[in-house]
Amino acid sequence: MVKLLLFECRKHFLKKSIVTVILLFSVLNVVKIYSVYDQTSLLSKSTGSDWNDLYWEMYEEFGGTITKEKIDKLMSIYGPLDKQTADKTASTAIDNPNTYTGNVYNDTYFFRWNFVNPMEYAYMYRSYANDVVTAAKENLTFFESLGNQYEYKKNAAIADRYIGRVISDFSYTEMYENYIHYDFSAFLVILICMYVLINVFVSEKETEMDVLLLTTKAGGTKTVIAKIMTSAIFVCIVCFWFWLIDFAAFSTIFGSLEATSSPLYVIENFANSSIGISLGEYVVLSDLLKTAGILVLSLVFLLISTLFKNALFPFIISLFTTFGFIYMQELYMGSGHILLKILNPFALVVNRELFRKTEFVSLFGYPVISYVPAFLFAAAWGTLCILSIVILIRKNTVNRKG
Amino acid sequence: MKVTFKDISKQYKGKYALENFNSELENGIYGLLGANGAGKTTLINIFVGILKSDKGQVLINDVDVRSLGIEFLSHIGYLQQYPQFYKNFKVMDFLRYMCVLKDIPKEQGEKRAKELLEIVNLSDASTKKIGALSGGMRQRVGIAQAMLNDPDILILDEPTAGLDPQERIRFRNLITKFSENRIVLLATHIVSDIEYIANQVILLKDGQLLKQDSPQALARGIEGKVWNVTATENTIEEKLKHLKISNMMRNQDGIHLRVINDEKPDAHAVNIQPNLEDVFLYYSGDGERW
Repeated sequence: MVKLLLFECRKHFLKKSIVTVILLFSVLNVVKIYSVYDQTSLLSKSTGSDWNDLYWEMYEEFGGTITKEKIDKLMSIYGPLDKQTADKTASTAIDNPNTYTGNVYNDTYFFRWNFVNPMEYAYMYRSYANDVVTAAKENLTFFESLGNQYEYKKNAAIADRYIGRVISDFSYTEMYENYIHYDFSAFLVILICMYVLINVFVSEKETEMDVLLLTTKAGGTKTVIAKIMTSAIFVCIVCFWFWLIDFAAFSTIFGSLEATSSPLYVIENFANSSIGISLGEYVVLSDLLKTAGILVLSLVFLLISTLFKNALFPFIISLFTTFGFIYMQELYMGSGHILLKILNPFALVVNRELFRKTEFVSLFGYPVISYVPAFLFAAAWGTLCILSIVILIRKNTVNRKG
Repeated sequence: MKVTFKDISKQYKGKYALENFNSELENGIYGLLGANGAGKTTLINIFVGILKSDKGQVLINDVDVRSLGIEFLSHIGYLQQYPQFYKNFKVMDFLRYMCVLKDIPKEQGEKRAKELLEIVNLSDASTKKIGALSGGMRQRVGIAQAMLNDPDILILDEPTAGLDPQERIRFRNLITKFSENRIVLLATHIVSDIEYIANQVILLKDGQLLKQDSPQALARGIEGKVWNVTATENTIEEKLKHLKISNMMRNQDGIHLRVINDEKPDAHAVNIQPNLEDVFLYYSGDGERW
């Protein structure tokens, strides 16, 4: 089997054209990440300010464990600035020597956006989490009195997940914030997989090798399994390559790995997250789930390709299928149709939508956090695709010869 | 080795591609001859297990091949019509891959592949990419891969299609070389491919077995039915309309027609020795007129 896998790799994946596409897309990905930094980071030069050096200087003072002293010191700087700019009558001079940035308004925004707001969110999160726990516990009593076991269990799970949540450190989260909302590399990986995998079965038909394969001992199901396995290995390698580029490029361009050990809910969009792991752990989990999602999509591409004799039609159909998955994802992303959302294997690719909220699905009357059934559904889709491929390949060859 | 086809039938959409086909093959070259659509490829696909017959059995030494399971495949070597193989593979690497598919141990496969490349005169091309080979060379790679597992039965489906005359002759000689102690089943609609090398010819028409015999016996079977008729410009049209003609040649004497007819077509017709092409036309060319 190992030899068969190696030959399959050589046959379909070790090609100059594929390596070239991967390298070109990698460069494109880095350029895109730079443009994300350039357009969204408060510390980038093109946002019109030059806050980078000042930020890290202040971060030395205010970063780390949030203490009363730090808050007092920050407010002693920000309070007067806020007052001065409240009625918009402060000086607009840009060379004011009594300011940090040369301008009072600029100073205000600098501290508000970079320190005050994020620190306030971090500081207040404990109380927010406590409120959620209190509400969930009240619901427990209520639903118990109604005899509604499902809602009771759901609220018990919420209380259990939110209890003790606290953000004790103030850290620079801009890099992670952008990193976990970045989907372009996943789109590139899907395109690469589509381009490469469509040919895995089609090329056998184009070269008439499918018939010859069936007349050899290992050319039937064994070869189909080898093709699926090598395709999966290829997808994993391409995914991990791009996830590595993503992480390396984001941390280099944003110039920081701060907040790696901070909890996921340090990102405001994840305040209601169902999991309490660190950002560093979430990156690994997210990358694994993205890879799983792309694996399932790749199996769909392989399945589509088994139905055709040349690469053009399956490529077009796969492209439209992908757009269909993306459309469905967009359609149900923020809606209450949780089941329709998690049925879509693309939900694993943009998995932040599964983790940023605490949503439950009833599984045999038991509330299960939505990412579990989403993963199970994706696994079911994948298994269904594999079975269909194994059955269809032989059938198609036989029908074609017939 | 003995192969028996017993009442093999296969239908597509209610039409027989093969109907009650019975035949017995022993070591030697068998030419499976028939027009396009006669059922040659269907028979081969049933034989190699790609297609399932609706009815009947294929037996090897009186054992049903279905009971042999996947082991049956170690008895056969197969070369399909118009093989392209993998253009980015080198010849030797392709043979190595085929060894893996045929479950041949590495050392044994390596040795056998080198021997076969020597026999098919491709040793110098072993490091060339398949995409860079000519059609004839690719076909020789094809027969080498079919022979890798030293099969008892070699099945070749129209192997000379698209080859130039020189390559065709070279390929015929290779088939003869490989036919020792094995059954070679060669499907073709090109009569010259098998006329001089086949021990027996199986004539198929519309899925039915018309005849199975040696080429000489088949030719003897239509002795007295092939004629040389000389026509003029004035009479040619009439003759073309009414006679079954296997060849036509114009020279100074007039137009010489090779006519297949049960009776003497005209008073001046001269009886001539039939060849396999005449046999093919006699049996499978019903109603074919110019």
